[in-house]
Amino acid sequence: MSELHVVFRVASTEYVIPASEVLRMESYEGATPVPGAPPYLAGVVQVRGRFVPVVDLRARFGLPPAPLSIDSRIVVGQSGDRPVALLVDSAREVLHLSPEQLRPPPPMVVEQCAGYVSAVARVGERFVMLIDFRKVIGEEQRDEG
Amino acid sequence: MAEILVVDDSKVMREMLVACLRRVPGAAFTQAASGLEAIERLSLKHFDLVLLDLNMPDIGGIEVVEFVRAQDKLRALPVVIVTTRGDDGSRARALQAGATRFVTKPFTPEAILAEVTGLLGASGAPR
Amino acid sequence: MTSAGDLGDFRTSYLGEVEELLAAANAQLLAIDASLRKGESNVRAVRELFRALHTIKGLSAMVGVEPVVAITHRMESALRATDRANGRLPLPAIDVLLRGVRMVEQHVSAYADDGAPPVTPPGLLDALDALEPGAAPTAVTNEVALDLEPAVAKALAAFELDELARGVREGRRAVRVDFAPSSERAAAGLTITTVREQVGGLGEIVKVVPLSVPATATAPGGIAFALLLLTAASDEALARAAGVGVEAVRPLAAARAPAPEAPAVVDLLEPDPHEQDVHRRGAMRVDVGRLDEAMESLAALIVSRARLGRELAALTARGVDVRDLALALQDDSRRIRDLRSSILRIRMVPVAEALERLRLVVRGLRRASGKLVRLDLDAGQVECDKAVADRVFPAVVHLVRNAVDHAIEAPAERRQRGKPEEASVRVACVARSNTQLELTVSDDGRGVDRERVARRASRPVPEGDAALLHLLCLAGLSTRAEASTTSGRGMGMDIVRRIVVEELGGELLLRTERGAGTTFTLRVPLTLAVVEAFAFECAEQRFLVPLATVDEIVEVDPGRVAYGPSPRSAGARGLVGVMERRGSAIPVVDLDAALGFGARRSPALRALVVRRDGDVIAFAVDRMLGQHEVVVRPLTDPLLKVTGVAGAADLGDGRPTLVLDLVALRVRLGLGPAGSRGVR
Repeated sequence: MSELHVVFRVASTEYVIPASEVLRMESYEGATPVPGAPPYLAGVVQVRGRFVPVVDLRARFGLPPAPLSIDSRIVVGQSGDRPVALLVDSAREVLHLSPEQLRPPPPMVVEQCAGYVSAVARVGERFVMLIDFRKVIGEEQRDEG
Repeated sequence: MAEILVVDDSKVMREMLVACLRRVPGAAFTQAASGLEAIERLSLKHFDLVLLDLNMPDIGGIEVVEFVRAQDKLRALPVVIVTTRGDDGSRARALQAGATRFVTKPFTPEAILAEVTGLLGASGAPR
Repeated sequence: MTSAGDLGDFRTSYLGEVEELLAAANAQLLAIDASLRKGESNVRAVRELFRALHTIKGLSAMVGVEPVVAITHRMESALRATDRANGRLPLPAIDVLLRGVRMVEQHVSAYADDGAPPVTPPGLLDALDALEPGAAPTAVTNEVALDLEPAVAKALAAFELDELARGVREGRRAVRVDFAPSSERAAAGLTITTVREQVGGLGEIVKVVPLSVPATATAPGGIAFALLLLTAASDEALARAAGVGVEAVRPLAAARAPAPEAPAVVDLLEPDPHEQDVHRRGAMRVDVGRLDEAMESLAALIVSRARLGRELAALTARGVDVRDLALALQDDSRRIRDLRSSILRIRMVPVAEALERLRLVVRGLRRASGKLVRLDLDAGQVECDKAVADRVFPAVVHLVRNAVDHAIEAPAERRQRGKPEEASVRVACVARSNTQLELTVSDDGRGVDRERVARRASRPVPEGDAALLHLLCLAGLSTRAEASTTSGRGMGMDIVRRIVVEELGGELLLRTERGAGTTFTLRVPLTLAVVEAFAFECAEQRFLVPLATVDEIVEVDPGRVAYGPSPRSAGARGLVGVMERRGSAIPVVDLDAALGFGARRSPALRALVVRRDGDVIAFAVDRMLGQHEVVVRPLTDPLLKVTGVAGAADLGDGRPTLVLDLVALRVRLGLGPAGSRGVR
């Protein structure tokens, strides 16, 4: 049973997130900066009448900032009832990934990426990394029964 | 593996029960904070035993037992009611509804451990 | 008995949960009291109270607090009998039950502090044993036909059927929403728990009935839940909330217009039923949810009006003749303002009605403390937005509890000091302006002991009432060695301050005199939804600040702002300068620096003057952009919760504009009353 994933790019790496966790994707024309917020917060935007924080994945991943381009996108995901947008360099395709394709990342990768990557998958010639959305937006693992 | 569902609206009580039963070999615990949540979890997954509080918001333990017993696949599920001293009336009604056993608060960890391991052994459940 | 080895670790969580349960028990007792005064029974509240006490009893048995088991057991028995008698408690029973709850509180706090357990007066246990249910109110004929299948009807208690019928008579719809759980739905966050929450937000859930259904693809577990509720929401909205198709929403009975001859329960407890009649004539009940919907539409209208205004300005800039358009827009603006005030008027509730609940609180306190206290309420005809009333009430309750607990002396001491034995606590409310409400809570007790407060906070003795209040509001400060039984350990002055200042954007003031008494003044807005705000620019970003929080806007003459030495910010100018304002020196802070945007390139020419607790501070900004009516929405996401930012609003460009809370920002900068003293 394969599941649909959204593919996006940050720097030269491609990442995926299950489409079921994604509310929408939008082009990005800048956010309102929030003074005093964490450094990886690009700001706040309005999406369908809701004010949504934007996490800059380049900043979150410790990468140098890049100028905005017409490809810049925000991927609005949802954790619980909390919508949070991820700012990425581009997001264009979706692809089906089966559970067998998703492998735990090698230990050294886990260590380096602070747990933001929960699996890697090989798609044809390339590798994509599965993002742990909740970790990336800084949400503690909740006590789930 | 013995899948145990712990149902109580009091978080402290659920944690106490889980702490007492840590030593059940191969036990895995799932917690439910209401009668409705318990019914939902029971319908979607196999459990080997349920620990059930009687007094909960929405629907109480007795209604849960009645409902569980009306389901074919749950007819034989061991249900241990965790009740408080002095609840004789509700105890009788729970028994009628089909509860398997009772544990009375306050209980010692040893007492509830013995009760649960006994039931799990008897039903030959651990898969 | 219990094994300390395994269960001793639960002490802290036990205390936390019992405290919540006790608060719930108090709230349910108040609800029962309110229902009784209206001549109604409240089976649901009685059951909830029972459940809270029962859980306290079970937990206390586990950790071995036996006296609590004894008291709660007796309270439970009385409530069980009451439940059988249709939820009818005689009014005096409320007093006895409140005393029971207080006694439990005392035992629990003794356990928390490892202190000697208090002695439960035998009279209390006897009184609890002697409680008997009152006569059941005459059954209201159930003339509303509900379309219920037998499996569902069987699961409903009589009071639940009554609630459904009553709701329909009052003009709401009784609806059934079916939800079948599945693993896929659970993975997507749709469980009976979340569905219940979502649907519960749109109406009043009376009961959720689990049903056996044939196992199918949509109901793989072979079960479904029927949520029975009273609502004003549309089928579509309910289906969306439950994550189901609209066919899963079915009416149980159509809503009726409330019939004037609806079986009125004769009310002998109300002081003057005729007065009530007059008041209610021609009135109708409105679901708050419907009002919120109207308010939201209005908000959208205000946003689009702002956009029109901007387009108009752009046209003018291009030299287009827009006089007719401008007139039409002006007309439109006036109509929107009228509409806004009509909607706001509908949301208003009489403050006096909300304060009435304090009588019960004081009655309980009188019993618990043995002090003689009279409560004077004076709210006149003042009304405020329901949302404001709901938020401010807990703060008022806390201040009243504090007054009785800490400020009022025992009768003997009062006599000795030449005061009347019966102390007075007075809660008054006046409308200060069209936009602001002023509540005062005053007592004629001993006044706040400055030295003692200072000692407990390990700070110098505060000069003046404002500085004293600042100390009192430090988180976690209590002037008593042990938390008192009635004030509990729950809410301190810091919470009162948070509600009044941060949540409501209001003001909290203190006046106290040793030996003579204390007055707390709470100034809060009459409504929350739409506020007048100044827009301004700072660090090339646009911000808003509520009009009500700004004292005035002043011009800044950069040449006349003086900066003193600032050894701590080596190399840079200090953050705080001094400027003159009407003959006195006030501190001035560059807002862009305060917000962390770095040094400013050109000197600021305008400043917003903010005054709180008698302290004045000016925030220098780039330029003012005018005044707007805005809908402020709080920023609730943890990533956006930042001190100094109260929320955001859409000025019509689709982008969030931050609404600043300059008072909170001042605190973040460490410029509270204590910090600014040196500048005066």
